[in-house]
Amino acid sequence: MFNRRTFLVLSILLVLVLTLTACGSQETGGSGKDTLVVAQGADPKSLDPHASNDQPSSRVNKQIYNTLVEATEDMEIEPSLAESWEQVDETTWKFKLREGVKFHNGEELKASDVKFSLDRMMNSPEVAHIVGAVESVEIEGDYTVIIKTKEPFAPILAHLAHTAASILNEKAVTEAGDDYQNNPVGTGPFKFVSHDAGDKVTLERFDDYFGETAKVKTLVFRNIPEGTNRTIGLKTGEVDIAYDIEPIDLDKVREDDKLVLIEEESLSTSYIGFNTKKAPFDDVRVRKALNHAINVDEIIEVVLEGAGTKATGPINDKVYGYNQSLSGYEYNPEKAKELLAEAGYPDGFKTSIWTNDNPVRVRIAELVQAQLKEVGVDVTIEEVEWGAYLERTAAGEHDMFILGWVTVTGDADYGLYALFHSSQHGGAGNRTFYTNAEVDQLLDKGRTSIDENERLEAYAKAQEIIVEDAPQIFLYFQTQNAGVQSNIEGFRLHPAGHHKLVNVGFK
Amino acid sequence: MLIPVIIGVTFIVYSIMFFTPGDPALIILGENAPEEQVEKLREEMGLNDPFIIQYLRFLKNALKGDFGRSYSTRKPVFNEVFSRFPATLKLSTAGLLLAVAIGIPIGIISATRQYSLLDSITMVLALLGVSMPNFWLGLMLILLFSVRLGLLPSGGDVGFASLILPAITLGTGVAAIITRMTRSSMLEVIRQDYIRTARAKGVAERRVINKHALKNALIPVVTVIGLQFGYLLGGAVLTETVFSWPGVGRLMVEAIKQKDTPVVLASVIFMSVVFSIVNLLVDILYAFLDPRIKSQYR
Repeated sequence: MFNRRTFLVLSILLVLVLTLTACGSQETGGSGKDTLVVAQGADPKSLDPHASNDQPSSRVNKQIYNTLVEATEDMEIEPSLAESWEQVDETTWKFKLREGVKFHNGEELKASDVKFSLDRMMNSPEVAHIVGAVESVEIEGDYTVIIKTKEPFAPILAHLAHTAASILNEKAVTEAGDDYQNNPVGTGPFKFVSHDAGDKVTLERFDDYFGETAKVKTLVFRNIPEGTNRTIGLKTGEVDIAYDIEPIDLDKVREDDKLVLIEEESLSTSYIGFNTKKAPFDDVRVRKALNHAINVDEIIEVVLEGAGTKATGPINDKVYGYNQSLSGYEYNPEKAKELLAEAGYPDGFKTSIWTNDNPVRVRIAELVQAQLKEVGVDVTIEEVEWGAYLERTAAGEHDMFILGWVTVTGDADYGLYALFHSSQHGGAGNRTFYTNAEVDQLLDKGRTSIDENERLEAYAKAQEIIVEDAPQIFLYFQTQNAGVQSNIEGFRLHPAGHHKLVNVGFK
Repeated sequence: MLIPVIIGVTFIVYSIMFFTPGDPALIILGENAPEEQVEKLREEMGLNDPFIIQYLRFLKNALKGDFGRSYSTRKPVFNEVFSRFPATLKLSTAGLLLAVAIGIPIGIISATRQYSLLDSITMVLALLGVSMPNFWLGLMLILLFSVRLGLLPSGGDVGFASLILPAITLGTGVAAIITRMTRSSMLEVIRQDYIRTARAKGVAERRVINKHALKNALIPVVTVIGLQFGYLLGGAVLTETVFSWPGVGRLMVEAIKQKDTPVVLASVIFMSVVFSIVNLLVDILYAFLDPRIKSQYR
């Protein structure tokens, strides 16, 4: 059929393709009962926990590293690398390390590693803000670490439980230099094997783990950016656990007998912020009116396919310091009209709402536009590209904007301070430019007080005032989810989004 | 020619990336990062300099082979792109092989039986193949072979089986183009006098087609194959996205989304160079196929 040369060329190509296929990868996709395949929507940016603070990286780093203390799935602080701790005075915390903890390279965990890690973290632009309150880290012998804060800082433990506060091995980091993220070394239940950029990260059980060793031998994180493809991967059995099933696929997973959909409320809230410096949103009556005019349940139903819970305030019950007595704003267009009339806008007004290209936010904006029209407020939607979005909302150029916040530490301080303290105006987090001296005072008190009850009281009061002042339309707390094969056991969602996999195995 | 083209390409891409709104420092650090950190990083990365300074600095470093570091992973960009290239090369080669294996024989058969029923059917199929968007084809293949039949993996690079569907997706359009090209080129050649002479000599029809006609008909086909291979290497973006294939195309898409300028630039440059090299190889291949071309260069 072909002449000799064409045949030759084709054979060379064939050999090339087979060679490339052979050296490409070992078979990992099969569901051998010792390999757990987890799919998420992006490739980890870095397995150096100080180099990046993105969710996909944290989800992998959580398996490789440990922190001094750890937040459980119920957001309770538990010992991890530190077996005990005490607060010596207002600004000094003393941690006693667990002895005999081994790093993946065989080194033993020493206090010097902890100091090295936290010092390194404080010098990293990506994650320094998480330990912004820390003044210094000192050591006493091999197993005692003393952390001093700049001023009294009550939520310090919650911050040290953040995956960015992972403890690294000093020797491994120094030896690897720039190449560290390709050779991460931690104390966690899984050790690093390989990272095929853009495709997958392979981890292996660490047999000298100080806690109970992992149930599976190999753990693979696959990068499947398209949500639908993650669901398909679940359906075909290529994937054992798929994170973040898209709203549109939820029913497909629910209805499949071989799959289980696990859903739980997360620490992630969505809100519509007002520019409280600008008319008409400088009038609290207008802000309240709009809170009453928005039908949040409809938004949850239509946009999220039910995967959310209506917010009664800025934080939810997963967060320490939540005020349970708040009831939020009920949907009441009549009341909204009354309030608008009272504020001098009986016929409504024209304004704009900003969103980035996130499809969920765009659809929320469309619904909000329709709902506000019913009370006479005429809203135009402006889609702004992400970087510009952050920049321009920080500069206060907006009327209304849709944004989210994740209280990663599970402490009210993280959820309220940046968003509502007047010292945080703009890029620091307070993009509504909300200012209330009493709230400032309460948030300061919550941050610095050592007395738990005093903290809880301060936060309860602060939330009450914030809801009353309504610098935002409080929308919902997103439900996070994962689709899981029914033969998987031991999997639980962590409210912060980085789920522990050490206890996950096959039935 | 290669160098001015690449400099032009980088200038255009750099401007586009530069003038689209969005601050890379903010994208790197995320919405929760404090203002001072962002400003510090901006200074560190030289983002406060004017456009032309930033571009010249990029060019100067690029000429030295230093494409900088990815904004998002902080890894050297060139390694990042290069580590993804085997996947793209594998997929493109497989797609092309498939296209050639299907396209050339069918093209020949069609040409030898011009206006037969078989010819009409293959031409309609070829038209379909050219017109079908490959992301759609990819999804349909996943639906059939992965979801319904459970025969093949739906995505990722997990061994030979995972190569089949993306290769078909990528190869179909090219196969159709090659079929049409082979057919029309064959039709032209078999009307030549020397073919009639060969037949008149009593050479077996099979030999006439395979030996006398095909070799001459292949020259334009090889050009098309070469060009298509270049396109496949650079244009596997959609297929790579649909199949979660970890190649350069998807790296570029992700980089564009994150406004990761160094990665976008390095991918574009890389693709341009690969494309040029493939074209060069095609030119060399001509000489093998057509001795007249070789003699021109003596």
